[in-house]
Amino acid sequence: MNPDKIRYKSPEELKEEEIELKIKERGPEGEILGGIVFEEEKTIDPDTKEEKIKKYIYIGNPYEDRPIITKIETDATREEIEAIKREIIPMKESFEILEAMARTYKHRQPLLIEGPTAIGKTYLVEKFTELRYGKGVKPLDFYCSGQTDVSELMAKWVPKVETEEEKKKWNEFLKLTETQEKISQITEEVEQKENLSQEQKLVLIREKLQELAKSAGLSEKTQWRFQYGAVPKAMGLIRNPDGSVSFDEQKGTGFILHIEEVGLAEPQIINALLKLRGKMGQLAEEIQLWENGGRKIKAGPQFWVVFSTNPPEEYLARNEVDPALARGVVFKRMKDLSAESLDLAAEYYFTYKVSEKPKEKPEGCILDIYNHPEIGREIAKVVAIFHNEFNKELKKGEKGRQQTIPLTLDDMARVANYLIDAQIRNKETGRLDLTETLKQNIYFNYLDRLADEELKETMKHNLNELLEGDTGKIEFEGKARTRKEIFDILVERASITEEEKKKSEEEKRKEEERKLAQTKFDTLDKMEDLLKKLSLSEIPEQDKERLSLLKDRIEKL
Amino acid sequence: MDKDKLNTFIHLLQKVFIQKQQQPIFDLGLIVKESKNQIEVKKVFEEIKKIVDIERIVYDETMSDEDAIDKIIDAFQKNKWVFLEIKKDIGSPLLNQLKHLANHNSLQLIDYQGKDIFEMKIPENSRMIVFAERDFIENKITYPHFYRLFGPTLSLK
Repeated sequence: MNPDKIRYKSPEELKEEEIELKIKERGPEGEILGGIVFEEEKTIDPDTKEEKIKKYIYIGNPYEDRPIITKIETDATREEIEAIKREIIPMKESFEILEAMARTYKHRQPLLIEGPTAIGKTYLVEKFTELRYGKGVKPLDFYCSGQTDVSELMAKWVPKVETEEEKKKWNEFLKLTETQEKISQITEEVEQKENLSQEQKLVLIREKLQELAKSAGLSEKTQWRFQYGAVPKAMGLIRNPDGSVSFDEQKGTGFILHIEEVGLAEPQIINALLKLRGKMGQLAEEIQLWENGGRKIKAGPQFWVVFSTNPPEEYLARNEVDPALARGVVFKRMKDLSAESLDLAAEYYFTYKVSEKPKEKPEGCILDIYNHPEIGREIAKVVAIFHNEFNKELKKGEKGRQQTIPLTLDDMARVANYLIDAQIRNKETGRLDLTETLKQNIYFNYLDRLADEELKETMKHNLNELLEGDTGKIEFEGKARTRKEIFDILVERASITEEEKKKSEEEKRKEEERKLAQTKFDTLDKMEDLLKKLSLSEIPEQDKERLSLLKDRIEKL
Repeated sequence: MDKDKLNTFIHLLQKVFIQKQQQPIFDLGLIVKESKNQIEVKKVFEEIKKIVDIERIVYDETMSDEDAIDKIIDAFQKNKWVFLEIKKDIGSPLLNQLKHLANHNSLQLIDYQGKDIFEMKIPENSRMIVFAERDFIENKITYPHFYRLFGPTLSLK
């Protein structure tokens, strides 16, 4: 070896290599085991000099040759991280999204994920929150629709009312557009009074709101309080050690805010969201709320916003993400799940890798297919094909329907779940009729939502062809068979009980013994004949004795 | 009304997706009355009431989103099922909660009942069924992914 080529690696480099190996780890069948790595590190507190253990997760895309790996502090335990990992189907797209989340979270940059329904945006935001904070912790969610009001997102003044009757009157009053406009007008007017302090402004706002209530015939004595919306709440949220949450607009640690379907947001919502833009592509460090006399809300260090939306073509009105918002975020556009990912998801669902298997056979279950991955894998192939074809059809739109029904992986998961105990028996064999069971569950979970009867019939026909028709035939154990035939073979094999298995093995053993005995007798007969013939011939006595000895040995066998 | 289908529908709603080490996950149900069907909503509700302990909430012009949410929480606190009849386009606060129920099986409200963030899981024995007419869903509900909120769907033809 040329000594010039030897390069000593620093401890950091060695650590990087170790983490990269773990990120790219695969199982014996090539399945992804890495992607997320948990590590603990000892640190010394500079003030107290005490040793502390900090927990971290490393997130990287294991499908990449040279993955970028992001290290984030976590409150979760090793066991929790392992449990969360098991709940994520290791699809390429999932890691692409998780990796983008980790990277933008670390840099306090807002992320916008645009992707079709089935990609798992919501699920992955939830999982990322759990990876960061521990099992069961949910992000703060805000859903946009055409009717979302800015006050839900930012803040509003609300009256404190006690009785139901009072509440009703106030609700009627507050839902009037005129009322909302007047409240906005009051806060704006007060805000412009530069000579007033923030506290004086607040007092004035309250007085004016009481006057407004009085003019509408409502009690002027009603107290008003300022209610923060999702954005300020997420900025100043504090997660207490006991799991409860509190809020401090100045000293809060901040939390994860997921704003969903931002493509549906109206311009006034977008304008409000633009307040979140900070320096250098990061999130704003504070926002100012005019409704509250111009009070500033500080963003805690853990405040992070992730937006999600479906592609414009999934909405009737082709709701594009507002360009101004798009410019202020890290924009991650995802395509449909690849065929490989869809197959992988189907295999995970139908071999019951992502769900707890029943401990006892549930009522309605004829065959415990959740314990037979060989059946699950065949079902997965059929459902993945059907799901893909159906999704293509749905994208073309349904006749006479305004609403669109894009498919999600949940549809697949539901079929898998129902297959456990919504089973049909084959009246002839008494065993599970898997073809009919699968058909019925697909009809229920996929097709019954269709308003377009023609499409429903076409899809039923296609499913039938896939399961029982010649065109759906595939090679199975050296022969071209329909999926129904394959299902029947696998169900028959899986249906044999332990007792039947023992019985059949015993019969096989006896049969072999019979055959062996027969062979022995045949051999002995032949030797007998041979010895008779030899006794007449002139061969040495020594050889005759040897043959006789051999015959004795065979007899003793 | 086909009682077998209704029973299957209820049975499917009662089913729980068990995720590893997670809380149980279940679907919201949707009953769609097709335009040709003459059945009254009250009759549908009464039939379901024979099977499960359920409370009816009529979400119409007289009911605010906040009231509807209060009533849903109240029913869940009593471990009851909810039969939510939709008679007007769904407002943002209620839609937020329906989406959260569909995604996480829980309600999440800001500044509610004295809490900064109020979270409530649907009790294990409670479920939600939303009832609406097909024409209404198609023409009046502005949220484009309404059907996606639900698992089992019963179409009353």
